[in-house]
Amino acid sequence: MNNHIFTAKTKMAEIITDYSLLTIIDRLNIKLGFGDASIDEICRRHNLSTDLFMMICRVYAIDGFAPDISNLTKSDIPKLIGYLQRTHKYWIESFFPNLHTNIHTMLESCDERSAKILNKFYDDYDDEIQKHLDYEENTVFPYIISLGEGKKDLANKFRIKDFEENHSNIEEKLHDLKNIVIKYLPESASQQSRINVLNEIFKIENDLNKHSVIENKILIPLVSKYE
Amino acid sequence: MSGKIKITIIEPSEIVTTGLKRLIEQNGSFNVVKTFSTLQEYGEMPNGNPDIIIINPMIVSDTGSSDPRSLLQANDNTAVMAINYGPYDEDAFRSYDGYISIFNTREQIEKRLSVAQKNTSDKETYDDSNELSLREREILTAVAKGKTNKEIADEFNISIHTVISHRKNISHKLGINSIAGLTIYAVMNKLLDVDDF
Repeated sequence: MNNHIFTAKTKMAEIITDYSLLTIIDRLNIKLGFGDASIDEICRRHNLSTDLFMMICRVYAIDGFAPDISNLTKSDIPKLIGYLQRTHKYWIESFFPNLHTNIHTMLESCDERSAKILNKFYDDYDDEIQKHLDYEENTVFPYIISLGEGKKDLANKFRIKDFEENHSNIEEKLHDLKNIVIKYLPESASQQSRINVLNEIFKIENDLNKHSVIENKILIPLVSKYE
Repeated sequence: MSGKIKITIIEPSEIVTTGLKRLIEQNGSFNVVKTFSTLQEYGEMPNGNPDIIIINPMIVSDTGSSDPRSLLQANDNTAVMAINYGPYDEDAFRSYDGYISIFNTREQIEKRLSVAQKNTSDKETYDDSNELSLREREILTAVAKGKTNKEIADEFNISIHTVISHRKNISHKLGINSIAGLTIYAVMNKLLDVDDF
């Protein structure tokens, strides 16, 4: 999105100018076909706070954007969790399996040595992703949801700061994988299959980075306000 | 004109460009030699090797590039600086040699320009080759074998601090940060046998 100077009165259709913004509205369950409705109107129709919506858009549109969560409230939490869950679902059901298939095709054209270690690298990474997302889905999100519903489970010792401390970085290995495919995989590996793998990585890199910003700079501070 | 620090500004807003030029040039040691409103205009002209290029970071991010230096094909001793318009983290400008904020005073701007220019022109001694040194290859091999910093420090008889600094340089040169990724590099380059892990 070229123009990040948008307000609640801007037409929703005007801000959908690239792939990432399209992804956001889909993850927030906003259906296309806005006509000339403004951001504000569409958000109200979907019972979604305009502040939250614009904040997510700005995280994606502006590198290094520092969200100010002072206008967000408890009622934004379920929407935010829903958004994060849909993102995870997309990664697990569509993105990573796709990347996996592309990597396997690439490795078929590699020498045995490279294929063996890269295979192991990717399998380990796959496990890491799975664990990372399982932890969020099974421990962190249920805690936040019950907190949002006003249930204080005193037996549960978990606090959002534990999440903050354990929030591992899943971008690092993907970044390494990208450089390995670009710089170090021998030339003998098929060019087209490498390009396919790189295209997949380019597609997700930004999404992973922005997702971390949303979790670390919106979700964690927002939840700690209500603990 | 010689002796003055030559500055190029790439910024779509004429208000900003004109204001910035006026401010900067009040100090006799800076000279804004060229101003462009788009990247395309910049690309059409020989860049004239300015000492500093000040660019609106939106221009860079709109191209999808995260490396302003290569986007601008700037010389190694040209400092590439961003204009900070607002609620951005400093992190956003990590790929630049510095930034100025539109809320800076004239003195602050002069200081930032001087610092960025000095840091960049001093960089000539910096080892830019991506070849690993012998010692770095040894340490990389040890890391890939799963040794801890403490074990490596003992083995090579160096401080842990030195090990960490070697590891930083290795990751910077290779573009690989994780131990798993470094292991792959080590195996592919036959520093380590594939059956070793």
